[in-house]
Amino acid sequence: MPKAIEIENFSYKYPDGTAALSDISLSIEHGQRVAIIGPNGAGKSTLLLAMAGFVKGTGKVLIEGLEINRKNLKKIRTSLGCCLENPDDQLFMPTLFDDVAFGPLNMGLEGEQVKSRVTDALKTVGLAEMADKAPHHLSAGQKRAAAIATILSMAPKIITLDEPDGSLDPRNRNNLVTLLTSLPQTLIITTCDMNFAASLADRVVLLDDGRIIADGDAKKIMSDSFLMAEHGLEVPTKMT
Amino acid sequence: MHHAYIDKFAYQDSPIHRLDSRAKFIVLVFFTAVVVSLPRTSLSILFCYAVGPVAVLVIAKIPLRFVFKQILLVSPFVLVLALSCPLYDKTPVKVAFGPFFWPTTVGWMRCFVILGKFVVTMLALIGLVSTTRFGDLLTGLQKLWMPKLLIIQLGFLYRYIFVLIDKVHHILRARNVRRLKNLGFKRELKIAAAMVGSLLIRSIDTAERINIAMQARGFDRTWHSLSKLQIRRCDLLFALIAIFFMLGLYFFVKPVL
Repeated sequence: MPKAIEIENFSYKYPDGTAALSDISLSIEHGQRVAIIGPNGAGKSTLLLAMAGFVKGTGKVLIEGLEINRKNLKKIRTSLGCCLENPDDQLFMPTLFDDVAFGPLNMGLEGEQVKSRVTDALKTVGLAEMADKAPHHLSAGQKRAAAIATILSMAPKIITLDEPDGSLDPRNRNNLVTLLTSLPQTLIITTCDMNFAASLADRVVLLDDGRIIADGDAKKIMSDSFLMAEHGLEVPTKMT
Repeated sequence: MHHAYIDKFAYQDSPIHRLDSRAKFIVLVFFTAVVVSLPRTSLSILFCYAVGPVAVLVIAKIPLRFVFKQILLVSPFVLVLALSCPLYDKTPVKVAFGPFFWPTTVGWMRCFVILGKFVVTMLALIGLVSTTRFGDLLTGLQKLWMPKLLIIQLGFLYRYIFVLIDKVHHILRARNVRRLKNLGFKRELKIAAAMVGSLLIRSIDTAERINIAMQARGFDRTWHSLSKLQIRRCDLLFALIAIFFMLGLYFFVKPVL
C-alpha cells in the first residue's frame, strides 16, 4: 500500500528568489497525526500548499503513490483535503449548505449523495442546524468547524489544516481538538501553538528556515527545551 | 464583527418567506416595470401601488422602521437626481387634489414622482431581499436562465462584501489610533489613497486564496449547484394576486393629479 505522503528532496523558491523550502524529504503513513511546527516564516504553510499541488518546485511529491502533475491533480485533490488558514477564504458560498456541497458536486456526485454527504459532514462538526446560514453569520469557532466540514464532505483520506487553532478561544480550541482526534483520516496540521500540537499529534516535524530540523515522536521532540528554544518555540505546559 | 445585514430578516419564517424565490423575483421585475412606466401625473396612484409591497412587508413581519432606514441609506443618489428637476423645468402647472389645488412647476412634480417611484420600488425590493435568503435568490436566478458568470459574481459579492467591510474597519481603526491631529486635506487625501491601495492589494490576496480553496475542492471552471426550489400552488397564487393587483391599478385607477 502506498504511503499517504512521500516527499523527496523538495525545494521551492519564492518568485523573488528567497528559498522557502530547501531539500525537504518527508514520509507520512496512513492514519498518522502529524504536527508541522516552527516559528513564523519557517515555510509550514508553503509545505502544505506543496502537498496539495499549489506550489511547484524541484523534487518529488507523491500523494498516495501518485506524483503531483496535471494528470493526477483531480484524483489527488479528491484524496487530500486542504483547509486554509483563514476560514473566510475557505467559505465562499452564500450558504453553509452550498459551501459544504461545493466539493462533492465538483466530484460529480448525484443530488441525493451530495445531500447525504453534506448532512453527515455538518453533523460531524456539530453544525447540522446551521446548514442554511450564511457564513458571515457564524462565529469564529463555527467558521473553523464549517471549513473542516467543507473538506469532510469530500471524504478525503488525508486532511491538511493550516493553523486551525488561530483566533480560537480555549473552549473552541478544545472543541476543535475533540473533533480532530475523532477523525479517522491522516491529519497534517501546522501550528505555532505547542499545547495544541501536543494534544493532537503523535508525530512532530520541526521546520525552520525552510528546512526540516527534527522529525519524530511528538513527546520526545517537544520536551527538548533546548531544541524548542533554539527555534523560537516553547515546551508545551503539560511537558514542563 | 456584526453588521446591519441587508437580509437580516430573510431567515425568519412567514408565508412570504416560504414562497419560491422565482415567483417573488418575477413579481418584483413586473412591479418595478409597471411603477417606472407610470406617467408623471400619477403621484396619488403611487400610494395605491405602495399598498402591495407594504402588505408583503407586514405579512412577513418586517419592521417598517428597518425598511425606511434602508431606503434612507440609498436615497442620496436619487435625491440629487430628483432635486435637480425643479431647476431645469419651471413650466407652471396647477395641481388639484380633491377640492384643493395649488400652483407649482412641472419640475417639482417630476421631483415628487421620481421620489415616489423610488420609495415604492424600494419597498418592493426590500420586500424581496428581506424575505428571501440570498442563496435561494441566486438559485432562483440560475433557474431563470441568468448567466452563470453573473450568478457566481453576485454570490462572491454578497459573501465578501462583509469581509471587505471588516477590512475597511480594521484599516480605519489602525489609522484613527495613530491620528492625533488633522494633517490637512492634501496629506489626508494621500493617506486615504494609500489605504484604498492597501485594501485593493489585500483583496487580490484574498481572491488568490479563494481560488486555491476552490481548486482544492475540485473546481474546474464549471459551476455545479443543487437546487432545492420547487414551484407550488401558493407560489402561483401569489403571482396571480400580484398580477391582478398591478393590472387592476394600471387599467382601472386613473390619475387624479
